Amino acid sequence: MAAMKRTWLLCVLLLIACAGTESRSGKAAGGTLVISTGGDPDILVPSLLSSVQAAQIVDQVYDRLALIGDSLSIVNDGGFTPRLADRWTWAADSLSIAFHIDPRAKWHDGKPVRSSDVRFTFQSTTDSTLGSGVRPLVSNIDSVTTPDSATAVFWFHARTPQQFYDATYQMPIMPEHVWQGIAPSAWRGSEPARHPIGSGQYRFVRWIPGVAVELAADTGNYRGSPRLSRVIWSIAPDFNTAVTRFLSGETDFFEALRPENLPEVAKHPELRTKQYRGLSYVFAQFNLRDPANVARPHPIFGNRELRRALTMATDRATIVRSVYDSLARPALGPTVRAYPTTDPNLRQIPFDLPRARLILDSLGWRDANGDGVRERNGRPLRFSLAVPSSSKARVQLATVLQEQLRQAGAQVDVEKLDFPVLIERERKRAFDAAMGQWNTQPSPGSVRGSWGTGGSRSTSGTNYSSYENPVFDAYVDSALASFDQSARRAYFTKAYDTIIQDAPAIWLAELMPTVGYHSRLELAPLRSDAWWAHIPEWWIPADKRIPRDNAPAATSIAPAESAGKKTP
Amino acid sequence: MLRYIAARLVQAAVIVAIVATISFALIHVAPGDPFSAVMDNPNVSERVRATLRAQYGLDRPLPEQFVRYVGRLAHGDLGWSFSHDRPVREVLSSALPNTLLLMVIALVGSFALGILIALIQVARRGSGTDHALSAISLFFFSMPDFWLAILALLTFTYWLPLFPVGGAIDPVMHEYMGLGGRIIDRLRHLALPALTLIVLASPGVARYQRAALLDVLPADYIRTARLKGLTEREILRRHALRNALLPIISLLGLSFPALLTGAFFIEKIFAWPGMGLAVVSAIGTRDYPLVVGGVILGSIMVTVGSLLADLLYAWADPRLRAR
Repeated sequence: MAAMKRTWLLCVLLLIACAGTESRSGKAAGGTLVISTGGDPDILVPSLLSSVQAAQIVDQVYDRLALIGDSLSIVNDGGFTPRLADRWTWAADSLSIAFHIDPRAKWHDGKPVRSSDVRFTFQSTTDSTLGSGVRPLVSNIDSVTTPDSATAVFWFHARTPQQFYDATYQMPIMPEHVWQGIAPSAWRGSEPARHPIGSGQYRFVRWIPGVAVELAADTGNYRGSPRLSRVIWSIAPDFNTAVTRFLSGETDFFEALRPENLPEVAKHPELRTKQYRGLSYVFAQFNLRDPANVARPHPIFGNRELRRALTMATDRATIVRSVYDSLARPALGPTVRAYPTTDPNLRQIPFDLPRARLILDSLGWRDANGDGVRERNGRPLRFSLAVPSSSKARVQLATVLQEQLRQAGAQVDVEKLDFPVLIERERKRAFDAAMGQWNTQPSPGSVRGSWGTGGSRSTSGTNYSSYENPVFDAYVDSALASFDQSARRAYFTKAYDTIIQDAPAIWLAELMPTVGYHSRLELAPLRSDAWWAHIPEWWIPADKRIPRDNAPAATSIAPAESAGKKTP
Repeated sequence: MLRYIAARLVQAAVIVAIVATISFALIHVAPGDPFSAVMDNPNVSERVRATLRAQYGLDRPLPEQFVRYVGRLAHGDLGWSFSHDRPVREVLSSALPNTLLLMVIALVGSFALGILIALIQVARRGSGTDHALSAISLFFFSMPDFWLAILALLTFTYWLPLFPVGGAIDPVMHEYMGLGGRIIDRLRHLALPALTLIVLASPGVARYQRAALLDVLPADYIRTARLKGLTEREILRRHALRNALLPIISLLGLSFPALLTGAFFIEKIFAWPGMGLAVVSAIGTRDYPLVVGGVILGSIMVTVGSLLADLLYAWADPRLRAR
């Protein structure tokens, strides 16, 4: 009896101790995260969204079958962790993967998640009438079958290293019972597109256009309640207003600080910054085809040695420092350091202005009339550099580059264009040079569309430079087909080396995004492709909470049954 | 009078139709595409692009698109906003109350303040006060709106945090406030953009009003009023001001469209979700229906404003009424 009493006492003390630890560490759920953002989400449908705000919200509301690891490894299932699928099984021939749905998983309206939802998600994403940009990314998936309500089997056309990634990363799972009555062509105007019902750790509460989007913790979620009770995106279309909201304490988080904001943030002891490796690189691309007749090489940039000379005349380290300060570093090539397949020691064309001048001399480009601009056969070394007027950083980059190339005897006319106009010109190959930026995905495979021959010849291709080199194509293909991580890296190194030496662009900057946040927030790691991926793990210690952290989370969600079917 | 109003309304309808046609043509021939953001993506195939164009009817010849647009317009349908993914009517109607609230307060405030400044200046014409007010008015009149807005934002929200940093409501706490709290929250958010607009617009009104008052002061009836022994304040208030209001009525008529079109920079900097911001942003994203819808609404307001100004003119000036 005495022993029992002692055991009880021990248990009670243990419970008190545990409670005390919980209280001291403050990891109890609660708190509000207010994110300063620059605009409304476009649409809250995973397969249709194009804005970063929409991606941030959708990734909290919807779940994927498995979550990619922070290392961004996409070969087989290495690094992936279970999400909606609690386990999976590969077929012996690896041409199919059976995902077992977590039996505890429920949609936010209380209905269970079934394998039929997975099949529906795949079928709707690949429906041609939906017009989803995800469709070509899942083209290796032949079909999804559902042998039972808890198992979804993905069947692939071919065995590839990234087939698991294709099945899990590209398609957050959507509820069939909410969407099945709406034709895919009418999804854009439908009610669930603005009031989503998902299975993620946060559920949708409200969207006030131009003001805010609010999510609340799904306390009964199968993965447990997230630590923060509410997440709110506070919308301010002007960058300075959004920053001021952060600096004044109205918001807790700002996702993309500029160099000029850093000293101001440093003046606030309650604010912190954190940098992470991004997936974006900036470049000045040359059009290798003549804008007047694309069948001919460009009269200036058709020459590889000239492009190399211009690259050599560019002091990229100085340009990056003067424009981005510490928020970027010189780009290595058409890739980013965050990829496990990128060798950080890729061979570069070095900055060497005297040598660049010698090369230009040897190519016949000389300043005969002493006006500072080289000529050859009466044609001056003069070209336009198109730049989107909406990007302050790229306009600055263009200005500094203009000055550096002037010293080599090239005259650059910076042409600031509306973004739609710039895209139109690039698509028609009606430009000399353009300042571009690619925001890539975890798969380095997008380099094939941006710089490969296929992307150059296709009317919808985004290889606007029209750079074509079969050696580069072959190395990229070999890299993407390889299952061995070191072999992939070796092939990519050769591919990148080929294109860097061919210089279809001056690889200027690789962005190192820097977020600002309130010190009461405890962040989880910021993933390169999506800093918001681990928001459910962020928390605010109980003793650091401010009044807005204690506001009760709203519980209402829009009924899916009221879904409209308006056709755009 | 009714015949006059009817004739003016017909005239207004013709003007709106011409403006709508021109704006439809201009925005469609402008280079670029509503799907530029989607287009600039290596994963978006030509087929997807074609699907999107077909969904929105952008694959059809421009004249056909125009006829279809006019047909829908006749049924009160302003089309579908590409950038907001909802009907244009919904986008405009959600922005309209915010713009009306801000602009009505700004217009009333700026005219009241402008007239008051002019009265003070004329009452003390030639004095140091008159010169000082003239200089201050000129200073604010010549100041770019975006510059003053940024300055006001930094000064009164950051360095001297008296007001919230933009927006129409507190997105975090508004829903949890009582009715009184919500009204106060609205007013706190409204104060800074409204005051900025008042400070920007009232100098123009003051200069117009001052000039108009100075024009009427040498008139015979003013001299008679003085001979009757009225004080200078009474003369200004009862005799000079009413006769000097006519140019201000014209100015009010011209300012009326701003009630709907809003003030783009003010709305952008103060994150005020109004019409100006919606329509100007739509130009950048080539959101054709939203641009044309906004232009139609704006041109309706211009013509209605002009008509109202004429009617106010007639009310204020019995000579015009008699004609």
